[in-house]
Amino acid sequence: MLKFVVLANRFWYNIFLKMEENSVIVCENVKFTYQGAETAAVNGVSFSVKRGEFLSVIGHNGSGKSTLARLINGLSEADEGKITVLGMDVNEGKNCIEIRKRVGIVFQNPDNQTVASIVEDDVAFGPENIGVERGEIGERIDWALKSVGMEEYRYATPSRLSGGQKQRIAVAGVLAIKPEIIILDESTAMLDPKGRREVIEVVKRLNKEDGMTVILITHFMDEALLADRTIVMNRGEIVLQGTPEDIFKNGEKLETFNLSLPRISLISNNLRAAGMDVANVLHAKELAEQILKNFDKQGILRGESSKFAEQRAETSHEWDIDIKDLTFTYSKKSPFAANALKGVDLHIDDGEFFGIIGHTGSGKSTLIQHLNALIKLPQAQRKFRKKRVKNGLPQPVYPAISVGQFNLADKKCDFKALRASVGLVFQYPEYQLFAETVFQDVAFGLKNFKKGLSQTEIELAVKSSIEIVGLDYEEIKDKSPFDLSGGQKRRVAIAGVIVTKPNVLILDEPAAGLDPKGKNEIMELLHKIHKEWCKTVIIVSHDMDEVAENCSSVAVLSEGKVFACDSPSRLFRRAKELSALGLDVPLTAKLSALLSENGIVINSDCTVNGFSEKVIEVFEGGVNA
Amino acid sequence: MLNDVTFGQYYPAQSFVHKLDPRCKIIALITFIVLLFVANNFYSLAACALIIGASIAAARVPLGRVLKSVKGILFILAFTAVLNLFFHGGEHLLCSWWIIKIYREGIIFTVFFVLRLFFLVMASSVLTLTTTPVSLTDGIESLLKPLKWVKFPVHELALIMSIALRFIPTLIDETNRIIAAQKARGADFESGNIFKRIKAMIPILIPLLISAFRRADELGDAMDARCYSGSKNRTKYKKLKFGVRDAVSLLIVAALIAGVVLLNIYWAQIFPQINDFIKLS
Repeated sequence: MLKFVVLANRFWYNIFLKMEENSVIVCENVKFTYQGAETAAVNGVSFSVKRGEFLSVIGHNGSGKSTLARLINGLSEADEGKITVLGMDVNEGKNCIEIRKRVGIVFQNPDNQTVASIVEDDVAFGPENIGVERGEIGERIDWALKSVGMEEYRYATPSRLSGGQKQRIAVAGVLAIKPEIIILDESTAMLDPKGRREVIEVVKRLNKEDGMTVILITHFMDEALLADRTIVMNRGEIVLQGTPEDIFKNGEKLETFNLSLPRISLISNNLRAAGMDVANVLHAKELAEQILKNFDKQGILRGESSKFAEQRAETSHEWDIDIKDLTFTYSKKSPFAANALKGVDLHIDDGEFFGIIGHTGSGKSTLIQHLNALIKLPQAQRKFRKKRVKNGLPQPVYPAISVGQFNLADKKCDFKALRASVGLVFQYPEYQLFAETVFQDVAFGLKNFKKGLSQTEIELAVKSSIEIVGLDYEEIKDKSPFDLSGGQKRRVAIAGVIVTKPNVLILDEPAAGLDPKGKNEIMELLHKIHKEWCKTVIIVSHDMDEVAENCSSVAVLSEGKVFACDSPSRLFRRAKELSALGLDVPLTAKLSALLSENGIVINSDCTVNGFSEKVIEVFEGGVNA
Repeated sequence: MLNDVTFGQYYPAQSFVHKLDPRCKIIALITFIVLLFVANNFYSLAACALIIGASIAAARVPLGRVLKSVKGILFILAFTAVLNLFFHGGEHLLCSWWIIKIYREGIIFTVFFVLRLFFLVMASSVLTLTTTPVSLTDGIESLLKPLKWVKFPVHELALIMSIALRFIPTLIDETNRIIAAQKARGADFESGNIFKRIKAMIPILIPLLISAFRRADELGDAMDARCYSGSKNRTKYKKLKFGVRDAVSLLIVAALIAGVVLLNIYWAQIFPQINDFIKLS
């Protein structure tokens, strides 16, 4: 009897221990308000994280995701409520270092996390801080670099690495402290798809193989889907919790929380509205199967369909852009010389919404800086002298660019007028804001380009430009640009470029770093500008879906050359070639490919709506024509 | 605009000098500089030139790279040399014109002055060419360690230096980006008078400053999250090793000092008449 009691006691005690052990983070009704803010950034949040769990957190910009990460790590102290990490109370100051040893956090900007100029020294920084013995630090560096796959870069300089590599170094720096929990606070937001894949692979492996608890804060649905559980935040509160599948399948709810529907849900919604029987799925393959099932039910024959003729609007060709033999080498005479462009030939028609895609380092940014002569062609430079041709040697080829009537290879070209009519918006343009008020900042370009405008003329132009980017002129004009939210800053920065009403507008990653809803809004805005007065819009992007959804033509840049230039529908049919370059294809193209494997040919323009329409057409037509 | 700035002059090679402990190199450089100013005749100065030549050869750095660093101060060198030449007083007047009087002493002084500065810059560039900025910082930190006794924040200073080194390339990139972006908005940095040009820098400087603060903020968080809490209980992964090589080179340096001092004192007595000619400087 006594034995039984002891056993039973031990049993309950073990269960109790298990529970304690299982929850590594427990938040109870946590509240936090930033100094000077009116509303709480985190407002009564309760949740717990189990050991070894992979948790993803999604939510619009400013929903409190990052604040939550800071609270767990003790970087900020909660105003109310209790956070327990591995049995320690975060609010107690003495636990601070102990908690940070066990909870590693990787931030968004890969540039701002490294302290040393050599990878090895940077990884050593954490272990040094907690007083690890020298010999062991060496071992930890080996191990940490190996688990992020960066062993070869031990003696490299972080500033010469790619974004994905830098971020992996940041992960290694955190791993070297040997944490039990790792938090990624939008760590992939500033990376290109390749960098994102690299980092996510590392995180996945850490969770699956080393059993590390992972909290992944992200805007990307495909990343959130990797988790065991997802938390959706809205205005500082947790509004949804569950498996990522459940959350994204019931996508309608997401819209009410300022998040956008995943594209795949948009397509299935469209199809369902047309009477097709399509369940909510999350992977292209599943959706393709569902569509095929519907077609089979309808008795649609599978076979070759008629070719889809593309239509092109006739344009005046007044602002055509023509690039020939463009080559460019960075830091020519230094040991770090790099060929950014190796002979680019490209023609962009007037009136196009043009997309340029390619890896980081494929020369996209260099190319667009040529278009408004920020990088001048050699012939247009002051010290240019034509090389004498020696006997037997071929005549050197000089690059040529023309934008509308501007000939950029001409020394006498009016570069100022060119820049006024070719607007260029750089990546993260909000970092260029400088003036005291929004009005002054937006007017800066206008005053530079058009001297002698009257005050009313300037006001009028600034007003219309601020309004076209969707901001309230009266409310915002006297504010400091630095007091605005991230999305507003970006709009103001764009307004500062379009204020001269350029005929050609070029944007480098206009939607980078924004949440999905913000991305859509920026794209809508660009279409509005395109429709109203800007003849040609050129966007550089990593996001294939974004390009497919918005562009009428796409050029793929690879290793300094134009790999292909075509309409999205034709281009994305070459999925295999693109993936050989390490590029993805948009969801619609994936679906088309899957369907055509089964004998159904959907020739759409690769937009979500276009694709849905075509599928519905085939479905309703009953014949595959 | 800033594309040509390749930060740090480090010239990668495997040589005796490259492998020396940075502390040893810093001490050697300081002694050498003192030596340059101790040398008071052409023989000891010639000895200094020999030392530099030997160390450049041992470092396996192309002479061109070393001379390139002198190019930077060429203008200042020429300017002060001319001033010295024209206005240095003395006894033996060689020629005079208007307010300019050239004395023999002036010529000698100028030659000494130019050579000393020339050697000084060359020697310093041998140090920077053979030592990475990182190990230079480590060396300085280690040499300053005794100052800890007077509560001087040596560790913090070293950390600040290494973070500054780390962020220079990042901030140069950023500056280039901002310049390009403002140019695209029609900003003009190349025309107008000096005041106009300074004013034109505002759209570059303000975003740069704000970005630097933002980066500092984020870096601070990242350091906090990686358990940084000052120099207390901190270990160091890399420890500088003072090896046989360093001991040998410090001995050589000591021998050189002795040599130059001896030259200073005795050579003068061996050839008194030459010394009379060049004595004073």
